[in-house]
Amino acid sequence: MKVIVILGRVLDPRGIVINRRRGRIFVNREEYLLQPADRCALETALRIKDGMGADVTALPRGPLPDDDVLRQALAAGVDRAIYIVGRADSPPYDDAAWTKVVAAAVDRLGGADLVLTGATTLDTGQGQLGPRLAEAMGWPQIVGAWTVEAVDGKVQAVLQTGEDYVAVEADMPAVVTVLPGALKLRYPDGVRLVDIYRGVGEIAAALEQWNVADLMDTEALVPLLERRGQDFPPERERGTRLAGTVEEMAQAAADALRQRLRR
Amino acid sequence: MDFTFSPEHVALRRMIREFVENEVVPIAAELDREHKVPYEVMRKLGELGLLGVCFPQEYGGMGAGETGYCILMEELGRVCTSTATNVGAHIGIGAMAIYLDGNEEQKRKYLTPLSRGEKFAAFGLTEPGAGSDAAAIRTRAVREGDSWILDGGKVFITNGGYADVVTVMAVTDPALGARGGVTAFIVETDWEGFSVAREEDKMGIRGTSTAELVFEELRVPHENVLGKVGEGFVTFMKSLDMGRLTLGAACLGGAQAALEWAIRWAKTRKQFGAELAHKQSVQWMIANMATEIEALRSLVYRVAWLVDTGRPFTQLAAMCKMYGSEVASRAIDMTLQIHGGLGLTRDFPIERAFRDARIAEIFEGTNEIQRIVIASNIFREHGVRIRP
Repeated sequence: MKVIVILGRVLDPRGIVINRRRGRIFVNREEYLLQPADRCALETALRIKDGMGADVTALPRGPLPDDDVLRQALAAGVDRAIYIVGRADSPPYDDAAWTKVVAAAVDRLGGADLVLTGATTLDTGQGQLGPRLAEAMGWPQIVGAWTVEAVDGKVQAVLQTGEDYVAVEADMPAVVTVLPGALKLRYPDGVRLVDIYRGVGEIAAALEQWNVADLMDTEALVPLLERRGQDFPPERERGTRLAGTVEEMAQAAADALRQRLRR
Repeated sequence: MDFTFSPEHVALRRMIREFVENEVVPIAAELDREHKVPYEVMRKLGELGLLGVCFPQEYGGMGAGETGYCILMEELGRVCTSTATNVGAHIGIGAMAIYLDGNEEQKRKYLTPLSRGEKFAAFGLTEPGAGSDAAAIRTRAVREGDSWILDGGKVFITNGGYADVVTVMAVTDPALGARGGVTAFIVETDWEGFSVAREEDKMGIRGTSTAELVFEELRVPHENVLGKVGEGFVTFMKSLDMGRLTLGAACLGGAQAALEWAIRWAKTRKQFGAELAHKQSVQWMIANMATEIEALRSLVYRVAWLVDTGRPFTQLAAMCKMYGSEVASRAIDMTLQIHGGLGLTRDFPIERAFRDARIAEIFEGTNEIQRIVIASNIFREHGVRIRP
């Protein structure tokens, strides 16, 4: 079984301060995290590997300026990682353009039984890459899974719709996107971590570098997205103050929590 | 000159930070309150390879050097001094003595399981009559064929209550004293003649085991002599040098946590219509803390670099321990003052940090001893040999 997991990074929100009045984001510490949903996709891939001995390859979500997320994935246990670099003068990639790169990379890897990635990104809230990739490959897709299992050529997942959980199934090969918070990523192995970051030992050979130009005609990579400015989302609503007797307040709190779960 | 951490050390810190936030922070207050040792955390640290962070991979370690070890201690010290102390006694002095002076066979037999957290270590030096004056130890070891028979005991042994392996210093030739008459032994705690007499009930680091050990006709095979017969004092002094550096790193973490609490509180607490951050008295405290912490950080990681590049570091390790423990105590005292009465309550971790910080000025050689070490090194360079 071959599993491919697509991983991206996001600026650590603990290192930034947002000034709404001035409409600016101040970066105090420029540190990046593995995208939370991609962390869950990575753990999903590793559990499938633990369970049935899959071969797991990590690919980058977007043209990353460094290969850190891939090294993290190797330290955590993936078998192989491909760092894809673009041409310096190429236009900025959006998910539409990057999907073509990933599809070409999956082909070059000889296909896969399952492609996993995060269902959404922490910063821009986009979840296009998974569905776009499934369309490009002509594979079925499952979007926003809590749990994923591969059984007898099929992938089974549990999704949440409103209050209910729904079990779904698709034939493999398929693309499944995993929700943030679905699973806790395991800690990396200490020795693998030191070796992959030092670039020594057997694990060093598991990190390869490919160029976009070797995968496809880069002229075809025209982004659909154009950035014209930036704005902030509306301020998050504050909590509500409850009144009445203890029982009434408890009831109101329980109702509010139920309501929130439904959303 | 390059003051940046290598990529593997950045990644290592990220891994350890995540581990301590998930595994140690939730239990830190309970360890203190219930007087419990964090076995489970120690076991998990071992599984990940972190208990062998500074030891070579061939002995089950991670091979991240002394810098990696300082990062581990800083991150642990930031959230739980007790856990840092358990780890420090295990790696920094217990296992370190075996790493520094053990032969190949001893390293394979003991260092490998210690690195993986399958066994735990302690370091047995202090005795009732030999604390700061380490050379005055009374525990005797007498050769009997292929074995040595140990009689005596140790006090205030961190991890003593649960360690599987203790590196013990005993007198093998009373006529020679510390120079030539003291030998280090690797003792397994399930051997006949080894017992734990009592565990101390302490003001701070309550999540650690501080035990009194008794040796009664304890038979130790000759192959468990650590280093050479008569050179135990050298082995132990070398181990303590390493321990001092990493204790300084743990203090750095503790001081950093105190600064973070102070900043958070100064941002939120209002008095006379403005947050404490706008009060000059508080600003000065925070500026002082931040400056001392930066100075300590530079010292700790510079000494780690000296160790990793094989340069001499004894005098600077003593500075790390002495200055680190005092910076941490001062920072925690100031943050308590900034928090006012709330700082004294168990709702905040500050009172625990305050109690925990005090020991750092005492163990691994009191700060008075550190000053003697520093001064003797300075005077030796000027041709004066200081007498203790």
